[in-house]
Parts: sequence; C-alpha cells; structure tokens
Amino acid sequence: MSESNVNAVESDVLIIGGGLAGCMAAIKAAEGQGLKVTLVDKSNTVASGCAASGIDHVWSYIPPIHEKMGYSMDDMAEDHRQGTAFGFFRKDLFYLAAGSMYDRMLDLERFGIKFRYDDSPIPGRFRIVEQFHSVPTSFNFDGAPLKPTLTKQARKRGVTIINRVQMTDLLTRSGQVCGAVGVGTRNAEIYFFKAKAIVLSSGRSNRLSRNLTGFDFNTRMPSPMTGDGTSMAIRAGLPVVNIEFLSNILGLGPCGNYNPNYGDPRNTVQPAARIIDGQGNVIVPRTQFYDWDNLGKKKWTADMRRQWLEDRKAWRGGRAGLVQRAAAGEGPFYLDFSEATDAEIEYIEWSIKNEGKGAQFLRYFKGEEQADLRKNRQEYVGSWPREISGTAAKGLWVDKDLETDIQNLFAAGDEVGGLPWQASTGAFTQGWHAGEMAAKRAEKQKAFAAVDDEKVKICKNMCAEILGSRRGFHWREVETGIQNLMDFYCGNIRSEGLLKRGLERLQDAKTAPLKAENPHELGRCLDVKSIVDNAELVLRSSLERKESRPIPFGFRRADYPEQDDKNWKVFLAIQKAGDGPFKHTKLPTDG
Amino acid sequence: MAFKHIYFNEDICDGCGKCVEVCMCDAFERNPQKGKAPILKYPDECWFCGCCITHCPHKDEGAIHIITPFPMRGSFKR
Repeated sequence: MSESNVNAVESDVLIIGGGLAGCMAAIKAAEGQGLKVTLVDKSNTVASGCAASGIDHVWSYIPPIHEKMGYSMDDMAEDHRQGTAFGFFRKDLFYLAAGSMYDRMLDLERFGIKFRYDDSPIPGRFRIVEQFHSVPTSFNFDGAPLKPTLTKQARKRGVTIINRVQMTDLLTRSGQVCGAVGVGTRNAEIYFFKAKAIVLSSGRSNRLSRNLTGFDFNTRMPSPMTGDGTSMAIRAGLPVVNIEFLSNILGLGPCGNYNPNYGDPRNTVQPAARIIDGQGNVIVPRTQFYDWDNLGKKKWTADMRRQWLEDRKAWRGGRAGLVQRAAAGEGPFYLDFSEATDAEIEYIEWSIKNEGKGAQFLRYFKGEEQADLRKNRQEYVGSWPREISGTAAKGLWVDKDLETDIQNLFAAGDEVGGLPWQASTGAFTQGWHAGEMAAKRAEKQKAFAAVDDEKVKICKNMCAEILGSRRGFHWREVETGIQNLMDFYCGNIRSEGLLKRGLERLQDAKTAPLKAENPHELGRCLDVKSIVDNAELVLRSSLERKESRPIPFGFRRADYPEQDDKNWKVFLAIQKAGDGPFKHTKLPTDG
Repeated sequence: MAFKHIYFNEDICDGCGKCVEVCMCDAFERNPQKGKAPILKYPDECWFCGCCITHCPHKDEGAIHIITPFPMRGSFKR
C-alpha cells in the first residue's frame, strides 16, 4: 500500500468528535502527565456540535441553592426519573451528571464563560430557571461563546486539534481499542490514528428524514452530525440502546420554518411565552420566575413533585397535543408574548440569542422582517424532523465510568445512552470524566499496541472507488432515498409489515454505488454511509420493540398500540458480532 | 431546490476566510483571488446557524448578510 496520502498520527488519548463533550474530554485528558492528546472533528471545533452557535441552559444540582430549598440530589434524581426520563433512567449516569455539573460550571467560569449577573436576586448572582425538575435547576447563561472558549482552552493545554476529518472505523485488538481511521473532507487523505485510549463523542444523527421546508440541511440540530460514532461502534460489535426512539418531540414548532430550538413556554422563551389558539384562548399558560426572595423559607416537599408531575403531564402533551387539535380543526396555534413586560422581553431575547440558531433567528425576525416578539405572535407550523438524539437516551451502553465493552474505549455526551435529556449537562460532565479516565488508562500503558492496518487499506480503497466512480449516484440522491424510505416505513406509525419492507428496501441504499467529484463530496458520501447504518438500526430496533411508547419518545406501533411496561420498560440494545446477525438484548432501567 | 442566501459586501469583506474556516457544513470555498470574498459553493448544505456572521471580523460593518430563503420564512401574525 502506498503511504503517500496516509497520515499516521500517534496519541496517548484520541478524542473523536469535538463538540462540548469532546472538548471537555480533551481539556481534562491534557492535564495528564505529559500525554499527547488529539481531538478530531469533522467540522471545526470553534463552531461544531449541538452547541456550535451556543446554548442557553444547563441543568445541575446546585448545592448553595438547592440545600436552602431542602431539595436533595435524591429528590432531583426522583424528579428526573419520573417526570423527564419516564423510567428510562440510569441512576449512576444521573448522579455523575447532576453531582458534578456545579464543579464543571465553576471550571467553565474559570475559562471565561459568564454565569453571574449583577441584577440577579439569586444567591451567587446566578440566573436559574425551571426546566426538567420540580424546582429551578437550570443555569440560564451566556453560552454562545462556549465552543471558541473551549477550543482555546484545549489548545492552551497542548491538545492537537485536527479539523475536517471524518472518522470511519475504530481499530481494536483482543478486545482493546488501539486506533481509528478517518478521511480528510478537504483533502481526501486517509488518517491512521494509533492511540492508547479513545473517547468517542461524535453525537447525534440528524438527517434521517425529509424536512418540510425543502431544505434538508435545515435540521433542528446540526446537519453535519450523521451518527458516525454509532456506525463505527456497531461495526466494532458494541451495543447501542434506545435507537428506535427516533424522535421525542413530535409536534409543531413555533415560527417553525427557521427551526429555532426554543421550543415551548417551558424552555428558552420562559417566563412570558404562552401558547394560544386563533381566538386567543390560552392552551399552555406562561410560567413565572421562582420566588427567590423567599428562598429557604418554604422547604421542598413531595407534594411539590406531585403538582409538578401533573403540570408536566399536561404540557408534555402540549406540543404533540397541538397536532391532534389541528387534526380536529382547532388550529392555528401561536406562541404569544403579548403580555410580557419590557424586562421579560429583554430577558427572553438574551436567552434566545444564546441558544442554538437563536442569534440568527433574531437577525432574521427583527432585522429582515422588522418583527417584534410582543406584537407578532409566531405560529406553530411544520412538523419537526425525526432525529436520533441523546435526549431520547439513545447511545452506547457504558459502565459507570463511561467505558464501553471495548477496553480503553470511552463514550461521552450524546454518544452515551441511558439518561434522557442529559443534553449539555451530559456532555460537560461525561466529557470531563471520560477524558480523565482515558488519560489514566493511557498513563498506565507504556507502549502502543500493534495495530492491524487492514481497515486503513479498506478505507483507502473505498475512497478511491468513490472518487474514481463514473456511474455511481450523487450522495444526495441516496440520502433523499433513505429519508423517503424512513418517512414512509418508519414514521409516526410503525408496523411489522412496513418495517420489514423498509429493511428490504434499505438494502438497495446500502449497495448503491456512490460517486464524488471532490473531497467535500467524498465526505458527504461517508455521511450517507453512516446514515444508512443508523437507519438500519432504527428499523431493526423498531421492529423488535413490540409496544407503543408515545410519551416521551413518540414511539408508535400500529400493531402494538398499548404501552407495555411489564415487558418493555427496558433499554433495548442492538449489536452485531462481526459478520453475524444482529441481536437484541433487554437491559434493565433503574426506573 | 436552487437558491442563494448568503451575500458578501465586496467593499467590506477582505477575504480573510474566517467564515470558510468555521462553517460547520463547509459550504464556502476560498476565492482563488486573494483578498476577495469567499464563494458560497454549497448553499443547500447550510444549517442556518449564522456562525459565518458571528465569527466574521467585519460583521458589524456588514461584510456578510443572509437573506432567508422564502420557504424558510417564519409564520407570524403581522
């Protein structure tokens, strides 16, 4: 094999995916004694992953606040288990996330992220709002500069960052990870990584369905994320759980075509947003800020959880409920800010500016449209695309220290399954922990394991074939075909007959020859290969789960319309050993 | 769907390439002519995050602007 376009990179710790989790892992791993840490990203770590353009919330157990409330971490765990995870819950992952996020917030603050505000009535001058638990647990903060800030911190610690490389395979030997293979999406060069320990943090898969706007890259979460980690992990024989829960947020989105990720009145737009119908009837009321002046005077009680669970049940059905109301002829519906005060509008705009595509949405809404949040109520339109996401707790099955079944291979963030809505909290805390664990392993191991370069050759040949092909399909043809197939056979309603037919038809997409005219298109072809793998797992696990679970996962089987907790309140794992058949295992929840 | 939505003000953009560097979707290409605004090569691979503007050193002077494509325009009450 010619070595002319193979870049060999040796690292003690290799991190695959430079989103929040990957950056945190790199920063922590680089604290190890003289370790060489490499962070690979398919985009550029300054603007990649779900926090590419910012986040506005992160949930945490906040000792100085929650202790005053008489609210313990056990209480919070119980809130999360019942009201957010609906039983699909791993206690160990929860305690790692909730129990270490406050420390990570302090780290982020040291790095320059702003969490404290002089106008705040809250001890510590934080801004804290209700989101996933019966008391306010989410820091509301200036998260827009997270990625440039974390990238700077990683570089400062000597981390080597390699951008624009898409990973295709993990290399293992005797049950231990020893390297990985990737392809440069700007140069089509092959990257052959040797490593003593690896953290996999490539995130979600977001391009599995058509987008109603006609812009298939206008996904809710970043379109470059195509489940490459899941694809690599399955080929390495690892189990992936919950992948059948293709979406948890079926419903309508406010001002939906821009797809800003601010959701509903309990999210970025709190406290003053509410949902109303065309006649002005309130369907989901506004929230109120917590009464911080009385913090500590009234202690938390289990009754507060009961009330919260009831409210939550009502609004959890709120957005999905809009679809049913619309079907019954009750639409249109609007997100309405008409009764907000000036101070509330200012607060909400600050929040939106920090969250996801919010800054761009405001440029559009206030700039291009000359519109105003208070005057111009936004309609809930369009269906949100289906996505494989960590919010539904899809991901790799890991042990309490985030190690997979392959020794020295750790996972973090959206790559980890088992804790719905862990979101950025999962990314910050698991990234840090996985980085620490990977560094410890790398420190123990003196030499690099011998690596078989067979997969490097396979990758090189595959790329040469795609780049040299004259008669293959353009990546977008195959991608659109897969999306159409997923929407038809694996959409809102699934059944054995349709899922089986979907799997049969997916074979055509799997074997379709692809062609690329340049490295960029080669990268997209590799995206499509990941999308095919992810689609197959979704179809297979959907077929295996013989129940419906509409709340919170939007999973509906026409042939098994009832929720069956006795048999199916389990994490459903799918895995494959070598060229053997796929197998499913039911893994217990702590729910 | 054919469309173009990201525009450079040629008088302000100095072709520094920051947007090319940060775009998560790799939608831009550097202009072969040094100092000239980048080329939006793959408009339909844009995620609409606006990072090209956020990271632009000349954003306040209006070096880049996005005209939201028609089907993506929001629905709201005037």
